[in-house]
This record gives sequence, C-alpha cells and structure tokens, in this order.
Amino acid sequence: MKGILDYVPGSSFLHRLNPLVKLLLAFVLCAACFVTGNHFIVLGVIALNLALALSAGILGRALRMLRSLLKLSALLFLVQIFFVREGATLLALPLGICITDLGLSFSLLFVLRLLAAALPLGLMLSVTQTSDIPNVLVRRLGLPYQYAFVLGTAIRFIPLFAQEMAGIMEAQTARGVEFDTGNFFKKVALLLPLCAPLLVSSVRRIEGGAISAELRGFYLRGRKSGYKDYPFALRDLCALLGGACALALAVLF
Amino acid sequence: MLEFERVFFGYEGQSATLKDLSFAIGEGEFVALLGENGAGKSTLCRLANGLLKPSAGRVLALGMDTKQVKTSLLARDIGFLFQNPDRQICQNSVRAEILFGLEIALADEAARRARCEEMLELFSLSGERDPFGMSRGERQQIALASVLARAPSLLILDEPTTGLDYRECMAIMGIVAQLHQKGTTILMISHDMEIVADFAGRALVLSEGGLIGDGPVRRIMRDEALLGRASLLPAQIPALGARLGGPYAEAFSVEELLSLAVGKKGEKERAEA
Ligand SMILES: Nc1ncnc2c1ncn2[C@@H]1O[C@H](COP(=O)(O)OP(=O)(O)OP(=O)(O)O)[C@@H](O)[C@H]1O
Ligand SMILES: [Mg+2]
Repeated sequence: MKGILDYVPGSSFLHRLNPLVKLLLAFVLCAACFVTGNHFIVLGVIALNLALALSAGILGRALRMLRSLLKLSALLFLVQIFFVREGATLLALPLGICITDLGLSFSLLFVLRLLAAALPLGLMLSVTQTSDIPNVLVRRLGLPYQYAFVLGTAIRFIPLFAQEMAGIMEAQTARGVEFDTGNFFKKVALLLPLCAPLLVSSVRRIEGGAISAELRGFYLRGRKSGYKDYPFALRDLCALLGGACALALAVLF
Repeated sequence: MLEFERVFFGYEGQSATLKDLSFAIGEGEFVALLGENGAGKSTLCRLANGLLKPSAGRVLALGMDTKQVKTSLLARDIGFLFQNPDRQICQNSVRAEILFGLEIALADEAARRARCEEMLELFSLSGERDPFGMSRGERQQIALASVLARAPSLLILDEPTTGLDYRECMAIMGIVAQLHQKGTTILMISHDMEIVADFAGRALVLSEGGLIGDGPVRRIMRDEALLGRASLLPAQIPALGARLGGPYAEAFSVEELLSLAVGKKGEKERAEA
C-alpha cells in the first residue's frame, strides 16, 4: 500500500537538496503562514508549495493532500465562523448566532493557514527518504545516534501502522465484521477491539527489530557510522535564501 | 460458485496487477491456485470475496456481483484464511476468538457455544490458552478454526500450510479435505506441490497477473514447461513418472507408480516362468 506520505523517488531540485535544508525550508514555510496576518501571503505560500510540488513531479499528490484536508478545514471553518462575534454583522441567524465580517476573515485565515502549513511537511516527507532525516541530524548537527534512531523509527512506523491497521480491518471484514459500513461512529466502535492485534503485532515487530539491531552492533554506532555524507551545495544556499525571502515577506506584511 | 469475467485489477498508482482473468469454479470443486511470488494470487483471492473490486470486468461470488454486495455480507458464506493469521486473531483466549467469529453468523448463544466446542475438539485446541503466546502453527490452526466454525460454503485459503511442520500441515489439510468431501468448495493458494498433488482436483496457474494454465491437477502437474513459467517444480512422483516415460508417465502417486512398477515386474516374472 502506497501511503500519501511515502517517499516518491526522483531527481528533481527538491529531491537533491540537503535533507537538513529541506527540513528547515518546510519549517520556514510553516512559520511564514503563522507570522503573517495577510490572506494573500498565505495563499502565496500554498501556491509556492504547489509550484514546488510540480517541480518535483508530485503535484497530483499535493492536490490529493489538499483534498483530504478540505473536509476537516470546512468543519473547522464552520465552527470558527460561528464563534467570532466581533465586527460588523453580515448575516444574523436565529438563536443569536451571527456571522460577522471579522469572523469570516479570521476563519478564512485560520483554514488557509492550516492548509498552507500542512503542505510543506507533507511535501518534505514525500521528497526525502525517511532514513535521511535522522542521519543528517546525526551527521550535521551532532545529535546522538540513539536519539536520532528513535526519531527515525517513529517516522517509519507511521505508514507501517497504517498498513497494519488496513490489513487487520481487511481480515476482520472478511470474517463478517461490518467495516464497510458508511457510518463513521459504528466504524470507530468496531475498531476498538482491534487495538489488541495492532498492539501485539507492533510490539512483536519492535521487539524483533530491537533484538536484531542489537545483534548487529547497534551500540557501536556513532556519528561517523553512516556511509552517506550530506554535503551542502549551492542549490541549498539558494533554497535557504528563497525560504528567508518568503519569511521576510510574511513578517513585513 | 465463483466466476471471474474478464477481470482487470491494479493497485493504486501501479500498472495492472491482474490482467484479463476469466474462469469459473463450480460447486464442490477443490481448486489450487499456483504462481510465483508476486504473481497476484493473494490479490485474486481478495477480489473473490469483494475486499477488492475489479477495475474492469465482473466478479460473481455465490452468484452475487461483488461490486454490489458488501464484503461483510459475503463473508457469511465465504471463509477466508489470510496469509498472516495474526491479523485475524483479536481475542485473548482461543475460545473467545472462535466465539467472536461466530457472533456474526449465529444468533443463538447456546448454538454458538456448542459449535465452538465442536471446533476446539476438531482441532484438538485448548480453549483457555492465550493465542498470542502460541506458536505460529497453532495460531494458524486457531485462525482456521474460527473461519471454519461458520461453515462457509466457499473456503478461500491463502497459503494455509506455509511454515508448518509436516504433522500440523497434515492436520490442517485433513480437516480441509473432510470439508471438501462434505461439499465445501475450496480455493487454495499453495507453493507446496506435494500438497496440491495430494488434495486438489484442479489447478489455476497464474504468472505475472495473467492466467497461463487451468485444468485438472493431473494434467498441469505433467506440464513442466508451464509450471516452470510460474517458477514451480512439479511434485516428485509425477515428475519421476514423466521422466521414466512409457507406461509410467501416467503415475501420479507413490501407490500408482508402485503398482505400475510391481505390476510390470510381476508380469515379467510370470513370462519367464
Ligand atoms: N496492498 C498493496 N498495494 C500495492 N501493491 C500491492 C499490494 N499488495 C500486493 N501488491 C503488489 O501486487 C503484486 C501481487 O501481489 P500478491 O500479494 O497478490 O502476490 P502473491 O502471488 O500472493 O505473492 P506471494 O506468493 O508472495 O504471496 C505484487 O507485485 C505486489 O507488490
Ligand atoms: Mg500472497
């Protein structure tokens, strides 16, 4: 099963950036959305993200991410819009609920931020091999290997978990449990008893992984153990400058 | 019972995994599904009970189009044993596990209990043990027991004997053969050609998503070229028979080969005397 956050192989500009720079760039773009109060800047960040996705050949996936976030955003938008009471009333509804211009603008900004902040992280994970993230932290920032390993394992386990869960649900559907119902709440209720197999298979897997890592000399690994070096190149500098510009724009406006 | 009509299927973002499959399995057949690793055998089985829907063509299971019926409904009559039994086991005693599978099938509590005890006895399992602490072979038996408890009319087995020792293997196959005799239709994936030769009546050979062979096991087993295309070797006795040639070419089991050989020798001795 191919998850929406799995690595997509490629050799685009984004793919070849230093993983550390990619990480930084993603955070800078997220930060830019939150320091600015300007809708257009946030929209600009979304557009920039889509352009970057296009350059890396994963535009389709970026759009899918947006679409999957859309439902949640719509819900949040509705909740927000009813709770802001400042500003001029645009529409008065019964029960004292009213929609104000400030509320509208605020909710819109909120939702746009959510979309704009989720995209760079998703894109970053799509163009970076997961093992590169902890490795570069060890190599370039001197993070102790054990901590980096925990981080790397945690990242790697997300898709594994999802896959395992899908497999378990499949197995239970095949024995007649109604997971193919459209009712969300019913589905959740059915899911609870399945946490047992999920936990057991995860613990089994983690235990197996830990033992096998130990047998292969885990405690001997250090900063110099990785075979990959992560040099910085001119393109990394350009990318950082680009990110800095975006952040500066966000701060100024 | 199960019918594939020009079925195509591809996982998301991948080229076609299954290409233009057409076959029909009748009631009471015992069909082996053969093919190399990654040929698409497990995928075919998932299509058969509606877990996956074909991207083109039609799958009819028990006369129902899988696109129009929920899998959980089909599951009442289609038993499905997964390659990995751990995905299925979700209770902390063997008895509870078998009862869990029965809850959906049988409304009556007493009937459920009776059926559960019957299964425990059939598989010689102890009801109180915790499945998670048991060996892989035992967990496989529990998974199978909870599938069989519901007496499905079509049973799909995805590599039921892989990783089991000879005795556990025969225990499971013995039960499956018994069910088959009572009329259950069986579709079984297996890489073990000896088991296929001993138990199945018909074989489907899948290679790279296409159906390259479909016929009686006796005929497929003799077609080394066909099996080779699916990275398989025929079972030993039919292979030996084929090499010996002549009257032995038809031999399919140890007994048949022996009776042919001894029979011949007997004739010769008589002629000499
Ligand atoms: N959930 C999935 N998502 C995407 N691709 C898959 C998925 N499951 C299987 N595949 C791919 O489909 C192809 C067929 O897989 P399948 O599991 O049906 O093979 P198989 O014949 O059962 O192999 P094996 O003998 O190893 O069990 C493989 O190339 C596999 O990579
Ligand atoms: Mg398989």
